[in-house]
Amino acid sequence: MNGALKKSAKILVFSTEKISDPAIDMAGLLKLHYPPTVYTLTVPCSGGIKPAWIMYAYEKGFDGVFIAADGSDCIFGESCTEKTGNIVSMTHEQMKEKELDPARLRMAAICSVCSEAFVKQIRSFNDYLLKTRNA
Amino acid sequence: MEERIKIEYDALVIGAGIAGGEAALNLANTGYKVLLVEKDHSLGGKMILLSKVFPTLDCAACITTPKVSEIARHKNITIFTESEVTHVSKRGQNNFTAEITKKPRYVHVADCTACQLCEKACPVNVTDEYQYGLIGRKAAFIPFSIANPKAAVIDIENCTLCGACERVCPTHCIDFTMETELYELKMKTVILATGFRLFDPLEIPRYGYGQYKNVITSMQMEREIAPTRPYNTILRPGDGKVPDKIAYVLCTGSRDNTVGNPICSQICCMYSIKQAQLLMGALPMADVTIYYINIRSFGKGFEEFYQQAKGMGVNFIKGKIGKITEKENGNLILRYEDISSGVVSEAEHDMVVLSVGVQSNPAVSNIFDAGSLKLDFHRFVAQKDLMGSPSKTSIDGVFVAGTASGPMDIPDSILSAGSASSEAISYLSQPQQQ
Amino acid sequence: MKERIGVYVCHCGGNISDYVDVEKVCRAVENEDGVVLARTTLFACSDSNQNEMINDIKEHNLDGVIVASCSPKLHLATFRNVTERGELNKYTYVHANIREQASWAHSDDKTGATEKAIHLVKAAIAKSRYAEPLYPYWFEAEKTIAVIGGGIAGMKATASLADKNSNVVLIEKESRLGGHTAEWGSLAMTDEKGYELTERIAGDIRNRENIFILTGAEVISTKGSIGNFEIRIRKKPQKEGDPSEIMVMKIGSIVVATGYDHYSPKDGEYGFGNSDWVITLPEFKKLVDSSTGKILEYKGMRISNVVYIYCVGSRQANGGNSYCSRYCCTSAIHTAIEAKKKFNGIVNIHLNRGIRTYGKQELLYAESLQMGDLYLQFNEESLPKIFVKKQKMVIAVKDILSAGKELEVEADLVVLVTGMVPRSDRSVGSMLKLPKGRDGFYNEVHMKLRPVETVIDGVTIAGTCQGPKNISESVNSALSAATKSYSLISKGTLETEPIIAKIDQENCSWCSKCLNACPFDAISKEAVHNREVAIVNASVCKGCGMCTPVCPVDAIDLTGYSSKEMMSMIDVLV
Repeated sequence: MNGALKKSAKILVFSTEKISDPAIDMAGLLKLHYPPTVYTLTVPCSGGIKPAWIMYAYEKGFDGVFIAADGSDCIFGESCTEKTGNIVSMTHEQMKEKELDPARLRMAAICSVCSEAFVKQIRSFNDYLLKTRNA
Repeated sequence: MEERIKIEYDALVIGAGIAGGEAALNLANTGYKVLLVEKDHSLGGKMILLSKVFPTLDCAACITTPKVSEIARHKNITIFTESEVTHVSKRGQNNFTAEITKKPRYVHVADCTACQLCEKACPVNVTDEYQYGLIGRKAAFIPFSIANPKAAVIDIENCTLCGACERVCPTHCIDFTMETELYELKMKTVILATGFRLFDPLEIPRYGYGQYKNVITSMQMEREIAPTRPYNTILRPGDGKVPDKIAYVLCTGSRDNTVGNPICSQICCMYSIKQAQLLMGALPMADVTIYYINIRSFGKGFEEFYQQAKGMGVNFIKGKIGKITEKENGNLILRYEDISSGVVSEAEHDMVVLSVGVQSNPAVSNIFDAGSLKLDFHRFVAQKDLMGSPSKTSIDGVFVAGTASGPMDIPDSILSAGSASSEAISYLSQPQQQ
Repeated sequence: MKERIGVYVCHCGGNISDYVDVEKVCRAVENEDGVVLARTTLFACSDSNQNEMINDIKEHNLDGVIVASCSPKLHLATFRNVTERGELNKYTYVHANIREQASWAHSDDKTGATEKAIHLVKAAIAKSRYAEPLYPYWFEAEKTIAVIGGGIAGMKATASLADKNSNVVLIEKESRLGGHTAEWGSLAMTDEKGYELTERIAGDIRNRENIFILTGAEVISTKGSIGNFEIRIRKKPQKEGDPSEIMVMKIGSIVVATGYDHYSPKDGEYGFGNSDWVITLPEFKKLVDSSTGKILEYKGMRISNVVYIYCVGSRQANGGNSYCSRYCCTSAIHTAIEAKKKFNGIVNIHLNRGIRTYGKQELLYAESLQMGDLYLQFNEESLPKIFVKKQKMVIAVKDILSAGKELEVEADLVVLVTGMVPRSDRSVGSMLKLPKGRDGFYNEVHMKLRPVETVIDGVTIAGTCQGPKNISESVNSALSAATKSYSLISKGTLETEPIIAKIDQENCSWCSKCLNACPFDAISKEAVHNREVAIVNASVCKGCGMCTPVCPVDAIDLTGYSSKEMMSMIDVLV
């Protein structure tokens, strides 16, 4: 394990093409640093993330999964918030069955310019994951 | 040699900088046939030579190179480089004739692979204008690494006709028999995107430019920090030392009646702040001070960018520079009136960057019939209806885009080009009068 | 499965290579399964590299192409296009973002940034292996364009579209056209009055066959997308008591030109609301324009000393509006000059934070100085204070132009030079889902590459709804937006992204969950070989993927985002 990995948890972020991914890009542009073991996969809408993918990420060794949701800004309609919420609950059920800490899945609505909010969320998530991993 | 070729286009765009390029693309994407004429060897104007651009710090090349590439391969755009429009006459509505002189490049662009063997073989060294005189180039040369077309040019003025380049060229694309070509072409509308000139600081002798080697222009600094930079690091030209106390002198040649330019150049505050930020990044130990009259960070995201620079530790001193003198070690003493304390002070810096302003390019008016293209008081192309139709000129059917009508930053130039192309499309869509 | 993938890792002239070891990235991926070629390039987007990619595709018989460079928002389209020119299906192209999400985000950790870039490129390779050629659908686009907002920007956009022979619907909330500009009298830099200018432009668009103007009308809902938006408009009744009229229109593209609000000072901000003689710049402009006579009077008092306080509602350090409103310095100085020329005994005192009369507007500043206007400058740390002394309004200011001396100036009238703020009515933006920038104005996709486009395809932004601008700048932006909206749909047919839901009908056992999840009614039931299964209507599906997680038998995938693609990426990201 190299130096960087010891300091930071492995986090898989699901971002959305038109809303949260631009915010994550802007975090880079503004050089708002966050751990380099945070990887982003982009989908059109956070309402289209399959719980199976999240479970697969834990199985493969990710410490945490963060859903950077569209929230009410979703370009596909209002129902996105509720549907993303349902995905989180469905996944929590599956996590319980596997005895995984449900707090290893986080979700927050990240608007297209919410770069600071994103970095703050990620840093606190990272802190939490490191603390629980080492506990 | 008088070979005149007649072809008809919908639009003539003069100048292939960012404004002309944008205007040409807008027209071409709407289905119009465009002739884009550029006097230089490459498309992209001044922007393609910049480092990064404010306020997003995108690299200039990342914006210009794909645009230039789209222009170069567009089926509706014909490009003439090293060409000048010498005369345009209006015969009627939607009826212009332009005379164009295409100078020989002495290289067949289609065959050149930009292998640079000719550059290596050429024995002639001259100053490189694309690096703003910071280094030299050969008389057979590729203008710069991201030039488009990327092909060699023979600088015939300095060429000794030794033939070394011709001998090494693997594709035999060098051809000294090429001649000046003259064209007389017809088009229905004209867009002027002839850009601006940079102020020449030799006009202000008290700043010592040209005399003190460590006084450079902002465009030279731009080259020093660009990805295609000459030295691969930032250094002062006098002795190659990496500078650690850099001064910026804003309003060099702007807001200055003594050089005949009372107006504000609109871009210098922001590009200086940008360079200061980049310098702080590249030389973390360096001190950067900006001497200013007013900081004009007025565009979207600009004020925030200015505050960010302050936060990074760039020094801002409100004060006008009286005189610059050189010390024996090449350092420079700036004498200035410090407004905040009300006293005249002196400061030592090891490198001074003159933030040179924008000057008009009035030659464009000469290509039209006497007096028909009006210039404004500052010899920019006059805008006939500044509020209602900013790109209309004194000639119906001739539109102005970008800095040809006055100082402008890149985002404004692009919008201005959008405006000019919009007016041109509207003009082309008018029912034809008999 | 792709077996001949080409990978290009971009230096971005240092933007990437200063923090990410691009050579190392290249070496780390060149032996991955299916990769036949991996190289670095100074600028992947440059013409020479584009040509090289096309040559490589042909020479090495590539079946997949990956560029690891900047954000896909900038150049995904550029490289898809290159792939297409290399005669590969453009959807087989995969992009890896190693600038915004690696080199820049982790510029503090070069090793970490390089490691991350390697993982990101490997993930792109994993995705590329499965990326299938996709074929876009073509559909007929509505050719009518809607312009929302009838101020100077909206009117100019309308005129320009009509000139290009488009059908235009101009929708204005107020009962008259002209927006804020129509409220202005004398304007800087021209002899024309604001209302004359708007009347002239309104004259250009009235009574034209292809322009339909709706005043007193509001957009109340929108649906659909580029090429076939459907907007509902409520038109206020002519007479009170009449029912309002609802109209539904089919629209191909929308230009949003909803403008700005004047900043309205808070109660007590520089005495605003406490004294009748503290007014805003727009109020003062009206006063100067409408007053006749040789002296300036306001509320029965003769006005001589006018004190202007700049940057009210702009450049606020704490919270609030941190941006510069761009037009106010010039407008205030112009109005001060007008007042001085028009009325006897006017003394103008400008308390400013550095005058920003950029460009040729500088001449106005010079003129005002020559006329003897007084300029005092303050810092954001010590704002001027206003109080009453011997029944006179007095403003105390710490003037940095005289070495920070505390000065007091008397005022008959205080003019708060108020800036521009985003419209408080954001209904249009929320309906169309337009993202806002950090300043609260609508955000363009990219200031230089796509300055009038939004992330919502087919919706452009014009004028001050995008950010503060003067009139001339608003018009430039409006004409650019009009041309963009026009060129988007002028061909009459549009290509959709072929990213849609795909149902594995073998496994589907119709339960209707996907139907309920779909926000676009794109799913229906169909009998196939006597079994009821779900089918997707390709021309209606927008590719959001909301139907995919709800399927109990995992029989739905979104093309380009299938489980096998996503999971293979997760495999290599760990």
